[in-house]
Amino acid sequence: MAARYFFRRALGAIFVLWLAATLAFVALKLTPGDPAQALLAASGATPAEIAERRAHLGLDDPLLLQYGRYLAELVRLDLGESWLHGRPVGRMIVEQLPSTLALALAATAVAVLLGLLLGLPAALRRGTWLDTLATSCAVIGLSTPTYWSGLLAILVFSLYLRWFPSAGQGSPAHLVLPAAVLGFAMSGAIARVVRAQVAEVLSANYVIAAHAKGLTPRRVLFVHILRNAMGPALAVTALQFGFMLSGAVVTESVFARRGLGKLVVQAIIWRDLPVVRGVMLVAAIAFVLTSLVSDLARGWLDPRLREEQQ
Amino acid sequence: MAIRVRCVAVLPGLWHNSLWARGQLACAQKGGTSTKPMCAKSHNRFLVCLVLVAALLATLLAGCASRPTGQLRYGLTLAPSGIDPHVNASSELGIPLTSVYDTLIYLDPETGEFVPGLAERWEISGDGLAYTFYLKEGVKFHDGTAFDAEAVRFNLDRITSEALASQKARFMLGPYDRTEVVDDGTVRILLKQPYAPLMDSLSQVYLGMASPAAVQKWGADYQLHQVGTGPFVMAEYLPGDHLLLRPNPDYDWGPSVYRQRRARLAEIEFRFFTDAATRSPALESGEADVMGEIPPQDARRLESSTDLKVQVVPIPGVSLMFFLNMTRPPLDDLRVRQALLYGTDRKAIISTVFQDLSPLAYGPLAANTLGYDPAVQGYYPYDPEKAADLLAEAGWADSDGDGTLDKGGQRLVLDAVLMGWGSMPEASQLMASQWQALGVQVESRVVSYSEALQIAGEGMYHLIPFNLSGSDPDILRKFFHSTASFNWSRTNDAEMDGWLDEASRLTDRAQRVTLYGRVQHRVMEQALILPIRDYVNLNGVSSRVQDLRYDGQGWFPWLIDVGLAPAGK
Repeated sequence: MAARYFFRRALGAIFVLWLAATLAFVALKLTPGDPAQALLAASGATPAEIAERRAHLGLDDPLLLQYGRYLAELVRLDLGESWLHGRPVGRMIVEQLPSTLALALAATAVAVLLGLLLGLPAALRRGTWLDTLATSCAVIGLSTPTYWSGLLAILVFSLYLRWFPSAGQGSPAHLVLPAAVLGFAMSGAIARVVRAQVAEVLSANYVIAAHAKGLTPRRVLFVHILRNAMGPALAVTALQFGFMLSGAVVTESVFARRGLGKLVVQAIIWRDLPVVRGVMLVAAIAFVLTSLVSDLARGWLDPRLREEQQ
Repeated sequence: MAIRVRCVAVLPGLWHNSLWARGQLACAQKGGTSTKPMCAKSHNRFLVCLVLVAALLATLLAGCASRPTGQLRYGLTLAPSGIDPHVNASSELGIPLTSVYDTLIYLDPETGEFVPGLAERWEISGDGLAYTFYLKEGVKFHDGTAFDAEAVRFNLDRITSEALASQKARFMLGPYDRTEVVDDGTVRILLKQPYAPLMDSLSQVYLGMASPAAVQKWGADYQLHQVGTGPFVMAEYLPGDHLLLRPNPDYDWGPSVYRQRRARLAEIEFRFFTDAATRSPALESGEADVMGEIPPQDARRLESSTDLKVQVVPIPGVSLMFFLNMTRPPLDDLRVRQALLYGTDRKAIISTVFQDLSPLAYGPLAANTLGYDPAVQGYYPYDPEKAADLLAEAGWADSDGDGTLDKGGQRLVLDAVLMGWGSMPEASQLMASQWQALGVQVESRVVSYSEALQIAGEGMYHLIPFNLSGSDPDILRKFFHSTASFNWSRTNDAEMDGWLDEASRLTDRAQRVTLYGRVQHRVMEQALILPIRDYVNLNGVSSRVQDLRYDGQGWFPWLIDVGLAPAGK
């Protein structure tokens, strides 16, 4: 049974991957601008030399042929060489991945913590000032762009208080501000889901029954309420985590961190198709994996879902 | 050598003693009665120790005065798009790598002359086709291999090979043919046609000499492990994160443009700050000692700080200017183009947008570029009345009273294509508001560089601003030759093509300067461009940084000379 489940998931994953690859290709082809010209125009290359480079990159071939070649390389997991950097794309991604992974993990930890801290009290004390306060915090988190909150954090914690470095990476201290800023931005969505779910579960019969049985409020909260309410929150978290793995470009820029986000934005600007494809592949794999893990975890948390998975 | 050995011997001793002294201090502070006798007894020892430490410190300072000390943290502004100077085109890559590589010759920015680098002298054949370089002896790459004529040939072969797909260096060689090794110490570069900018090209890091052994060893990953002959060794590079330089202990073949024979700094760390808004905070919080491309508004603020200064470095090349598309009505009328120039208060743009930190541009070349003709300063002073007259003369009038001029039912609306960097949108906005008073409307769109190139190629615009740096006036050929890739004025002037072609072939500097003078006057007479400002790089620099100077390109620091005063003054 489990084998069939995984087969179905794998099939879905391949479809997602193909769709993402195709969308990236089409989007890059639709944006105006010629990579060969962008690379060489300022260097004094003659139009003939630029045309030569264009042919060399295969950009003169019919679109379908280019698309076919693009997919064929993807199937072989041959990420090719960056047109801009002249280096293997695989290696470039491997260089940037640890930094992105560290930020994504740290920010997710912050987001889950904050999401619970804001969402739980709001749900348990609905309609009180605590609810209003927590919900407002969540909305601020959701709607504050990270380039703004990032600069504000640098201003306060780096320039004024001098607690944390404003830029770069290397020590855990470097991770604090970017993770906090990104985590805060993510926590809004999590807090809202937690609040909604917990509020719903609170009025469920089994919770009333649990209370009636005389269980301690703490036991009711952790075993009966949270376990049942966590599923959707987990799904939201996984989605955001996957999103961050493809690069939190704004946060990376503001805090001068390296990472996949900066790599892919630069590649898009220069129409560097191999790099865009490579990062997209990583992002798609990350999404597929995190959603698989989160589904399995939800199944473990909630036996009702386990039935569906089989 | 002797000095260094002594320093190493002294250091462990000092370390040991200072630890010990710290222990005694702790003892003295505790001061409990039971430990008193012991502390008193050790008090003498503590004093002796203190004297010893002082003595050692004095020796150390005296002996190590010439030893590289201090770590400089240098902020780069773009995550460079690949940093192999033979392959990539970013000007940022030269900031660290100018100190990793040596070039055959150097441009002395004070005299404008080329001075010996890895080549101690050179000859140019009468027909301008053969450049013979006589190389310095005893030069070694950081990996210990010798630099010789064969290495020069290897480098030029590498740059021009199709497999490398060079984005810049290849094209700096112009009509390059091949390189001949005459003997170990003599190398000859042969051209298919005379090409005057070659010397300027050879003085730039893009044609720096890399170790053939290292290039072959690392292959596709060479750019992470670059090896040159320069005053600094590339010790570590993690793309997008940091790059470390450490002094090359063997370096003693520096060019005369360097003031120091050896590096003064023990280490230089480069980090990348892509977001303009984060640059000055990093300086102010002390996370960077030098940071380039500070936005003008921030530069004014930094200037008021006691710990920081702003070093304004003029960049030679083509000034920031709006190209006026002379093939698209109404800009096909010379009077309309001239009216736009007379009608622009460029001084206001310089003070508002560029905080008076950039020089006003009068012509296509920045004032510190070879061949700049100061006579262009006479063209098109701000004169809105003259502008209005010229427009009226060209038949434009506000017949329907809507505030915008019209002619034959056509309103005077210009389409401006802007790229988002270099304060182009801000400058354009102010210019448009000045033109509004003349009855000229501007509709602008901000696009990416690749998109701008495409729009420019199709000719569907009235105005595009651009600037490009370069120390040789041949840069004009990229913009005003009828076949040039940046011929964004869309000029087609056979006479000007002839001047530009001829000047690119002449090796006589005076003759070249005359021809470029003619080009500058023609460009301004024809009002092909609206010049705004000469580019400057605003470097925010900690006041601890000493002797930071830049090369003839204006971008690349001569890091060998740079020192760092101890923290806390």
